[in-house]
Amino acid sequence: MSGFLNLSWQNLLRHRTRSILTMLGMAASVGVLFSVLSFNQGFNQGLETELERTGLHFMIVPSGCAHEVASLVLHGAVIPKFLDTKVMQHVRSTSGISLATPILVAQLPDPQRGKIDLIYGVDMAALSAIKPGWQIDGKTPTQENEVLLGYEVAQHEKLQPGDTLRTTEDGRTLIVGGIVNLTGSQDDAFVYLPIETAQALLDHPSAATAIGVKVDDPSKMVEIIESLSAAVPGIQIVTMGEVMNSISNLAASAKALSLSIVLIAILISAVGVMNSILMAVFERTQEIGMMRAVGASRFDIFRIILEETTIIALVGGLIGIFLSVLGSRLIETFVRSVVPYVPSGELISFDPKIAAGSVLFIFIIGIAAGVYPAWKAAKINPIEAIKG
Amino acid sequence: MIELKQIEKNYRRGAEEVHALRGVDLSIAAGELLAITGPSGAGKTTLLHILGCLDQPSKGEVLFDGVKASSLAENKLVKLRREKIGFVFQQFYLIPRLSVFDNIALPLLFSKKSADRNKILELAALVGLEHRLDHSPAQLSGGEMQRTAIARGLVNGPEILLADEPTGNLDTENSEKIYKILRSLSENGLTTVMITHNPELAARAERAIQIRDGLIHS
Ligand SMILES: Nc1ncnc2c1ncn2[C@@H]1O[C@H](COP(=O)(O)OP(=O)(O)OP(=O)(O)O)[C@@H](O)[C@H]1O
Ligand SMILES: [Mg+2]
Repeated sequence: MSGFLNLSWQNLLRHRTRSILTMLGMAASVGVLFSVLSFNQGFNQGLETELERTGLHFMIVPSGCAHEVASLVLHGAVIPKFLDTKVMQHVRSTSGISLATPILVAQLPDPQRGKIDLIYGVDMAALSAIKPGWQIDGKTPTQENEVLLGYEVAQHEKLQPGDTLRTTEDGRTLIVGGIVNLTGSQDDAFVYLPIETAQALLDHPSAATAIGVKVDDPSKMVEIIESLSAAVPGIQIVTMGEVMNSISNLAASAKALSLSIVLIAILISAVGVMNSILMAVFERTQEIGMMRAVGASRFDIFRIILEETTIIALVGGLIGIFLSVLGSRLIETFVRSVVPYVPSGELISFDPKIAAGSVLFIFIIGIAAGVYPAWKAAKINPIEAIKG
Repeated sequence: MIELKQIEKNYRRGAEEVHALRGVDLSIAAGELLAITGPSGAGKTTLLHILGCLDQPSKGEVLFDGVKASSLAENKLVKLRREKIGFVFQQFYLIPRLSVFDNIALPLLFSKKSADRNKILELAALVGLEHRLDHSPAQLSGGEMQRTAIARGLVNGPEILLADEPTGNLDTENSEKIYKILRSLSENGLTTVMITHNPELAARAERAIQIRDGLIHS
């Protein structure tokens, strides 16, 4: 270790507890900064891949709060409104459409279990187009009384493929055909069943909450959407791009909030660093006077003190990154519980660029926090200091 | 080698003006051992700081090797202190977490020289601390701390060593050791100035001056 660095380091060790606490303050704020940045990046990437993976180009929903409806249908929620049955015929007769598949999302109470199942009726043949990313244990339902369970439902009910989910009011026995692997999204909470079965259970033949549409040529999408909206009243069309946009807008405010909290935390810990180094400078006034007398320039003193802060910031920063990588699962679970919509997949992965950026940022903050104490130290008058 | 001409030093203490030095003429020859005595508040420390170019006089001239130090810029003064002047203080001012070796080598950090192990060993041997190099200051006696500080004051190879009551915190036996070290340094050609309250030590120095009320009464 170079002489200056060693001197600064030894000085920090003189008040071990104080230095460690100050470092931990830095570590905490860097850790949170790193986690939030990683999370934001993971969120955007997750959203993009989810968008890329969706085989559908747009959704037709009953007019109303269209974006919400579409995003909810995409990720499951119950809407009381159904699309008119005639809509489907219109869509099918429109040229340029390669796939139009009805989706029915609803709640279905089960008095025997005292529970409400969230059901998602879908044409099982079109499932791989709607949810291309899914991995399924068991098989995709082929029979009308076969269902597919979201991961959480299967976990919660302790069901395996081949087990019975429930018996319905009209005497059907719903058998678990397969279980969808964990997606980390709201998809995990649904029971997927053939749309005809869902319609029968709800006593709404040919009802749908949305129609997912895939076009032959995406460049013609705008014209198709225009002609459909003109031809069919009472509907709204939402493209997947718009859905993803509204989701990320929704998330943007959460991100902004979390980032500003992080920045405040960093500011507070920077003030902590400044305070602790300032204390150290005042305690060492005489020593600093001595160093000036034995040949230290003002700049030498400035440098020693500034190095102390940068050591605190750097070591604290590295500890913070290390801890937040260790704790990323925990943080992810927490974030999922507070942010409204979170795409599937692992969100916080270690990105060296973000880690380096966070450490660099805290390094700069550390230097900034060190400038004032270092300047104070450099200004100490050696004669006053060593008079004793 | 150092010449002070009509040095005055005034301090402001609130509305009142303190005349710490009131026209001091002093000439110090190379290699001499000079003892400065005088009552508390007489201006001894003020004089020593001016000799060491740590402080500037309010009036008068300081000639260091013929160079007018009292009109040098700050960076030149820093260089002068580094290269030509060694300081020793009553309170030692060792850095607690550094070893004796590193404490002795500290000034080299500021003169951007690397610590030559043999040279430090030599200095340590000169002050009788060759077996204590890895100790921390807390493990030393007062006398040993002061000897470490003397070695530190010598590490840049100064032309003059300025000691402000170096034995002030020590018992007779340790004071004697310190005195002998300073004495042998000056016998080897190092100009040495020592402030002391101990009349016996002052009497044994080559030359002794007494300061009273900011003036020399030899
Ligand atoms: N920074 C200062 N501001 C005001 N007065 C000062 C200052 N420094 C020294 N003095 C005054 O100048 C006078 C000389 O002080 P100095 O420290 O040189 O005395 P000294 O001879 O070294 O005394 P001692 O033996 O107690 O160390 C004293 O009256 C002191 O109070
Ligand atoms: Mg004094």
